[in-house]
Amino acid sequence: MKPRRRVVPSRARAVEPYPTPRRRSALGAAPRPATPSARPTGPAAAASGRPALSVDAVDLTVDLAPGRPDGLHLRNPILVASGTFGYGIEYGDVVDVQGLGAICCKGTTLKPRVGNQPPRVTETPAGMLNSIGLQNPGVEAVIDKYAALWATWQVPVIVNVAGESIEDYVGVVRRLDGVPGVAGIELNISCPNVGKGGLQFAVDREAAGAVTAAVRRATDLPLMVKLSPNVADVRAIAQAIEAAGADAISAINTLSGMAIDRARRRPLLGNTYGGLSGPAIKPVALRVVYEVAQVVRIPVVAIGGVAALDDVLDFLFAGASAVQVGTAIFADPGLPLRLVDELAVWCAAQGMSSHREIIGAALPAGARKGVHGKDRPSVKGVEYRP
Amino acid sequence: MRLAGAELVESRLILPDQWLQTYAAPWLTAAGVRAGQFVHVRTPDYSGLVLRRPLSINTIDRASGHMTIHFRITGKGTEWLARARPGEVIDMLGPLGRPFEVDPRTRHVLLVAGGLGMAGVRSLADEALEAGRQVTLLFGARGAAEVYPSSLLPPEVEYVVATDDGSLGQPGRVTDLLPEYEAWADQAFACGPWPMLSALAQLATGRDARLGVARLGRRRGQRSAAAARGTAAARRRAWLQVSLEQNMGCAVGACLGCVVFGVDGPQRVCREGPVFAADEIVWEGASV
Repeated sequence: MKPRRRVVPSRARAVEPYPTPRRRSALGAAPRPATPSARPTGPAAAASGRPALSVDAVDLTVDLAPGRPDGLHLRNPILVASGTFGYGIEYGDVVDVQGLGAICCKGTTLKPRVGNQPPRVTETPAGMLNSIGLQNPGVEAVIDKYAALWATWQVPVIVNVAGESIEDYVGVVRRLDGVPGVAGIELNISCPNVGKGGLQFAVDREAAGAVTAAVRRATDLPLMVKLSPNVADVRAIAQAIEAAGADAISAINTLSGMAIDRARRRPLLGNTYGGLSGPAIKPVALRVVYEVAQVVRIPVVAIGGVAALDDVLDFLFAGASAVQVGTAIFADPGLPLRLVDELAVWCAAQGMSSHREIIGAALPAGARKGVHGKDRPSVKGVEYRP
Repeated sequence: MRLAGAELVESRLILPDQWLQTYAAPWLTAAGVRAGQFVHVRTPDYSGLVLRRPLSINTIDRASGHMTIHFRITGKGTEWLARARPGEVIDMLGPLGRPFEVDPRTRHVLLVAGGLGMAGVRSLADEALEAGRQVTLLFGARGAAEVYPSSLLPPEVEYVVATDDGSLGQPGRVTDLLPEYEAWADQAFACGPWPMLSALAQLATGRDARLGVARLGRRRGQRSAAAARGTAAARRRAWLQVSLEQNMGCAVGACLGCVVFGVDGPQRVCREGPVFAADEIVWEGASV
């Protein structure tokens, strides 16, 4: 199919990838991405000059696997990050998990892992360090214990997969393929807390491409690959991952760091090193998302220090299609659901029928090659095969 | 488990850097909270902190809906909490964790606390007295200045103090007092620094055999089949239960940050604990 040409008078209006129920003609001045304000201050609140919409008219849905026949359709772009939400049941008493966009479960390996020596977490300025070491009961136990429950849920569960070798990754993914309740795979090639495997795949473009391609051959599930910030040039790796057939990229995993126990004069964490997360790493995550969104066409899911609506908007402007909330859940378990509401309210106040309008608004002109840009090679429903 | 606000009613400095705070939290006291459980306390956004702080529930007053927490200022989170003023509403998640399990046949309860470990076992003193049991509390501190004031304990509790420098009570470690009470106590419950708990666990090993204690009401050979390790039933039969402390992330079992290694593999202090039977934990080599 030939790329459909559209008249695009302004850059900021060109970010609408899907037909939305209320499409307005592309007239008038470009809606300026206004300074984020969560609350509409009245009918005239639309800083874009457009009339405010009702919150119900805002469409927050997003497809994280536009290249797959069935896609990975989320009701909203707020996900919970792997490792911070267990298997979706732990917070059940205080959070209505069905309202989330998706759940990324704890990193799952082929065989059970006991994880690293305690202590495993500590607070740092504006963030925290963790060195869990991929403790998990193994893919069989995860399927046995949780898959049947996930299958009854409205919210998609994306299983985070980790391993020490390509065979490990493929083994886990093969086992997950076709299991009801598993909506997608997030390939964790960037865990800084395990000795072997993990990070080695994320720092090398050939290895990242190889593991992605191997997993791609093993499953038809939507495949998202999680990038590490602990690399020299994240763009090359992102391109390799896209070329190998990933449906989406999530960025970023934690930054490698450490803390000292001053009283005992030795490293505080049992594993010496840990992964830094929280608001402290948001600027790094923004930079990575901004860079990656310029060089890939597949959706980018931002992770890193999301703690308020402003952070969500920043990542959307930088080119992310969705965001994952992680560390902030520990202090405020209700935050992800609140962000969904706040984002809808914000869009309505701006007169936008969907948050997708602002995706990539901050990217340099002409650099927006992404799925939401104008040179997208196919329309929705046509499989994208590199 | 609920997430709600608790209003600070009273804040008292009871020992150097140690605070006792009373909160009005009827939603918590009505939730069937038991001794040994904890709350996960959030500092406000402007504190700049990203993690909640797990704090033992010190006393529970169901009639008034008040509960107290006892903590020492060890960092920014507790420092902020110590500065909270009465009337302030603090965001709390709780009750969390599994409580102490007291055998219904237990008459004599021995509590062992080291320093701030008092916060972990204090509520069990109330609970045991309420159930008509006799309570002895062994308390260890570095010196007289850090000894928990007896005025804050119910008068029925026999309070025995040991200090490292001998400035008050028995000179020496609190663990040195244990052999004296080993035979008297039907069950013991401890909270304190890891070396203290480790020493207690070692002292308690083989206690039943040493004293010739007969375990009645159970047929021969049924010991392991009756209750799997880690269940409430198994803990109820354990002579020594310990309440552990660990850095926490989520406190609901999601992040696996607060794990300690047990005989049966990694155990989450927030979910399987904070109370464990002493024989569930691998004490050697580990130090938290």
